[in-house]
Amino acid sequence: MKEIDVFRQWNRKRHEYATAWQKRTGGKVMGYFCTYVPEEILHAAGVLPVRVLGSHEPQNVTEPHIFAMFCPFCRDCLAQGLKGRYKYLDGLMIAQSCLHIRQAYTSWIKHVPVGFSYYLCMPHKVQSRRAYPYLRGELEAFRKAVEGWTGKQISDKALREAIAVYNENRRLMRELYDTRKQAEPPVSGEEVMEISLAQQMVDKREHNEALRKLLAALPRRKRDRPAGTRLMIIGSEDDDIDFLHMVESLNKEQYPATFVVDEHCTGSRYFWNDVPEDKDALMALSRRYIERPPCPTKDWEERKRIPHIMKLARDFGAQGAIVMQQKFCDPHELDTVAIRKELEKQGIKTLFLEFDVTVPIGQFRIRVEAFLETLKQEDLF
Amino acid sequence: MADKKGRYPTEPLKCWDMAKKIREDYYRDYAAAHEKGGLRWAGGAWTFDAIPAGLGDDVFPITSEPYGASCAYDKQFSLRCLEAAEKAGYARDLCAYMRNYWGSILLNQYAFGGPFPKPDFLWQDHICCSHAKWYQVVSELEHGVPHFSIDVSVGPESEINDNKLEYVVGQMHDGIEFLEKTTGRKYDDKLLIRAVKNTCRSTSTWARVCELNKTVPAPLDEKSMYSLYVLGTLQKSSQAVADFYEELLKEVQDRVKRGIAATPNERCRVMSDTQPPWGFLSVFRYLERFGTVSIGSLYTFGLIGAWEVDGNGEWVHRKTPMETGRSINDRDKALRVLAEWELHKPEWQHFYSPHLKSEMMIRIARQWKLDGVMLHYNRGCEGLSLGIAENRLALLKAGFPVMVFEGNMGDEREFDMTRTMARIDAFMETLGMKREFQ
Amino acid sequence: MAVITAGIDMGAKTIKVVLLEDGQKVRARAMELGGTDTRAAGERAFNAALFQAGLRMAEVAHVTATGAGRASAPFAKDSVTEVGAGARGAIFLHPAARTVIDVGAEEGKTLRCDGRGKVIDFAVNEKCAAGAGSFMESMARALEVKLEELGPLALKSGNTIPMNAQCAVFAESEVVTLVHQKHTKEDIAKAVHDAIADRITSMVRKVGFENDVVLIGGVSKNPAFVETMRRNLQTAVNVLPDPEYVGALGAAIVAAENAGVK
Repeated sequence: MKEIDVFRQWNRKRHEYATAWQKRTGGKVMGYFCTYVPEEILHAAGVLPVRVLGSHEPQNVTEPHIFAMFCPFCRDCLAQGLKGRYKYLDGLMIAQSCLHIRQAYTSWIKHVPVGFSYYLCMPHKVQSRRAYPYLRGELEAFRKAVEGWTGKQISDKALREAIAVYNENRRLMRELYDTRKQAEPPVSGEEVMEISLAQQMVDKREHNEALRKLLAALPRRKRDRPAGTRLMIIGSEDDDIDFLHMVESLNKEQYPATFVVDEHCTGSRYFWNDVPEDKDALMALSRRYIERPPCPTKDWEERKRIPHIMKLARDFGAQGAIVMQQKFCDPHELDTVAIRKELEKQGIKTLFLEFDVTVPIGQFRIRVEAFLETLKQEDLF
Repeated sequence: MADKKGRYPTEPLKCWDMAKKIREDYYRDYAAAHEKGGLRWAGGAWTFDAIPAGLGDDVFPITSEPYGASCAYDKQFSLRCLEAAEKAGYARDLCAYMRNYWGSILLNQYAFGGPFPKPDFLWQDHICCSHAKWYQVVSELEHGVPHFSIDVSVGPESEINDNKLEYVVGQMHDGIEFLEKTTGRKYDDKLLIRAVKNTCRSTSTWARVCELNKTVPAPLDEKSMYSLYVLGTLQKSSQAVADFYEELLKEVQDRVKRGIAATPNERCRVMSDTQPPWGFLSVFRYLERFGTVSIGSLYTFGLIGAWEVDGNGEWVHRKTPMETGRSINDRDKALRVLAEWELHKPEWQHFYSPHLKSEMMIRIARQWKLDGVMLHYNRGCEGLSLGIAENRLALLKAGFPVMVFEGNMGDEREFDMTRTMARIDAFMETLGMKREFQ
Repeated sequence: MAVITAGIDMGAKTIKVVLLEDGQKVRARAMELGGTDTRAAGERAFNAALFQAGLRMAEVAHVTATGAGRASAPFAKDSVTEVGAGARGAIFLHPAARTVIDVGAEEGKTLRCDGRGKVIDFAVNEKCAAGAGSFMESMARALEVKLEELGPLALKSGNTIPMNAQCAVFAESEVVTLVHQKHTKEDIAKAVHDAIADRITSMVRKVGFENDVVLIGGVSKNPAFVETMRRNLQTAVNVLPDPEYVGALGAAIVAAENAGVK
């Protein structure tokens, strides 16, 4: 469908998009590593934030820089930098989250220098009341640094406009997700992944426009296969379109299945909550990033991810959950046991998979088919 | 002075038994705390242990990393712990200390005998992704033991400002409220102040001990240092540990004065990095066959030691607030001093950039007169192995030969002794060192 | 009178012996499978080399051992590590060599050395055999071809199938999947070579390479592997003659030095 193809094109031609944007607007492009980066400040400064993702190709350039015990995603990301695929970046930044991805950032700025780099000390204890004024202070420092870099003041007005654009984007995405609550969702999980990945790479105004068109067209859309088993996918960074494609194109008589919701930082965690109303724009941002669905690195002492996941499962009618993570991802490994336990307790069966740079489609297909079979048997008895 | 055969005099450390006793008392006191109406708490080796000290002198901690290492030292027990953690669903590539510790809880076996003594509360800090999560799981395994962790990930020492300090100190104040609420005890600021002073004293003195290892021949070798620095990881805020380090300092000063060497045939000086594979400390003894001594590491120096750079660019022990005349007379001041002091911890700096760690390592390599470096690519600890490949590149660039060996501090299944020895042989060959005995 | 010295390389799979005259001229070479009694195999290899050269054991002035099993080498007076021996042997055969890549049955190694064969830095592939010869053997088995056919087969393919060989066991099941997906044997063979060469290249990059780059060890006899390495490193890659004997040769050179041959 052409309203979805536009997202797919953005995603597939991410570098072409960014260089064309740069040329067209004369603005700067900032590569970023973690979705805790307060993009609104960049947007307000006329900067395009672009999330750095891997390319899913085997590579041999990161071994001198990152010890192999760290996740394949951080190595794949660094490889993109070392291979010069992001040469057009004017700046590169990270918001503090896991140790793995941090290495992609620190090695990149050392060996592939960029004009501006920034490490934002995003707090980990988001459950502490002390995190609010602290993050506000860090955001203020960041705003000043961006002003110094671009040579332009970021006015409160610009910040509020950026917040409005971003909140609009979040609202439209939630609206898209709402359509997946239908008995026969008009979009597949694979398609939604294309849309949410594009969301992290393109100008939000353009993304909003495309989303509006898509949402207008969706009521007339009917997919050519039954929704079948309603699946949820939960876990770490995941841009493995091939995997979702495989699951959603299994034999439709025998194993029909559709992903109806996700809990990924490349998906719903990224946009789920809005920036709240607050006279102080920076405090509003601070509240938004502190209160968003947390990355496991920040989900302590209480586990707040779990009630959020359970609510998603209920709201979207998930019948089974695929719990995935990047291989060697310690933060997710520290959540997985508790998450699976709670899901199973609520009658939602889970399948656990570890993702690497390339997905062993054959091995995973066998496991997913077996999983779907067990879910069907549940229905029978 | 070396004799005609080039051998230095050597002798065992006199305060060895005292170190051993402090460690034994520590694990026993923790286990026995309830017998006399005292309290038990658990937290990491990096936690602000001075703060719970304000609850009274009958409050005893157990720190998890040294406990995990103690498990690892007993290979049979460790394997059972690791398997118990795996059976409960925890991934094999998680922190090996953590898995040993959880396994010990799951088996309900204390490494020092008897059932695992359940803590009354959990008191942790958080800079590595596993720190607070470790105790989140402990709390679950122990059916809801109250847990408080302090986030200290506010950036490297050079960037500390009021905003960052306020965040940490604010959490400390909240932490004291948590302690009072959880234990029902009244908090005593005088005890806190004493514990903060002890913390500064322990860590500054330990750095002074490490400084003495700049001497050729080195008065201490790394294998012995492991048994000494560990006291700081147990309870750096305790009077006994602070006093012990002062005794140790005197003894090591005396060794330097008399030219006592740790390794009598010292010809070659190296350092290591990250925690060693605890079940295989014989690796360090193996070096002696080549006349090689490991004089320590950023890990042994900087995990407990407090350091600063002096006017000549030398890395020296950090002067305590007592020495610089800073007053610590109320709760807020004590917490502020403690936060500032710990935020300068060398082993916290590399979390923000491996390049900061490389600088410190190169500084050690130069000032401690090293011939080479052995990096333990430690699969058991992502926090300390963070950026280690970049450290290797930087050390090589600075002109220091580097050997790497892969292993795991607490999971012996991931360490290959034979291959590591073979690697050491090749490294010694490249440094021009010949084996002096089998 | 000529001084004869010997190097014996007690490898993970095979044992190699080289006899050297005056530290200059190779007099004989022999190889035996290690089997379970490596010491006996070492003796057999030694006897075979002596027989070829028409020499007796008593005429050998000095024996130096190398290889993972060097502690159990027969006749050896001393030893040198595989890293040291590889560098010496490579420099002897190719004086301009500065980077030596050694891929044997169970391990891959890379070293950088100076013109005298002094090692500056080295790296060894960790743990998994996914970057070594025994991996090629299991892949050949999975594809049902002979080991020596695997390389020429791969050279016939012009396609790239991404394969992730972080682990030999998983790689084998990836190959099985590819077979089921009806990829040609040629393409799969190439994918296997790409995967191994990627692992070795990663290690080479870790040490950093300087020209000339030379390849030693049994796996360098595989033309597809050599071709992939050349492509990955974007530089000329020289395969030394009789690459599996370079370690033993290096040990024989060290033996000559230790025997006082000038």
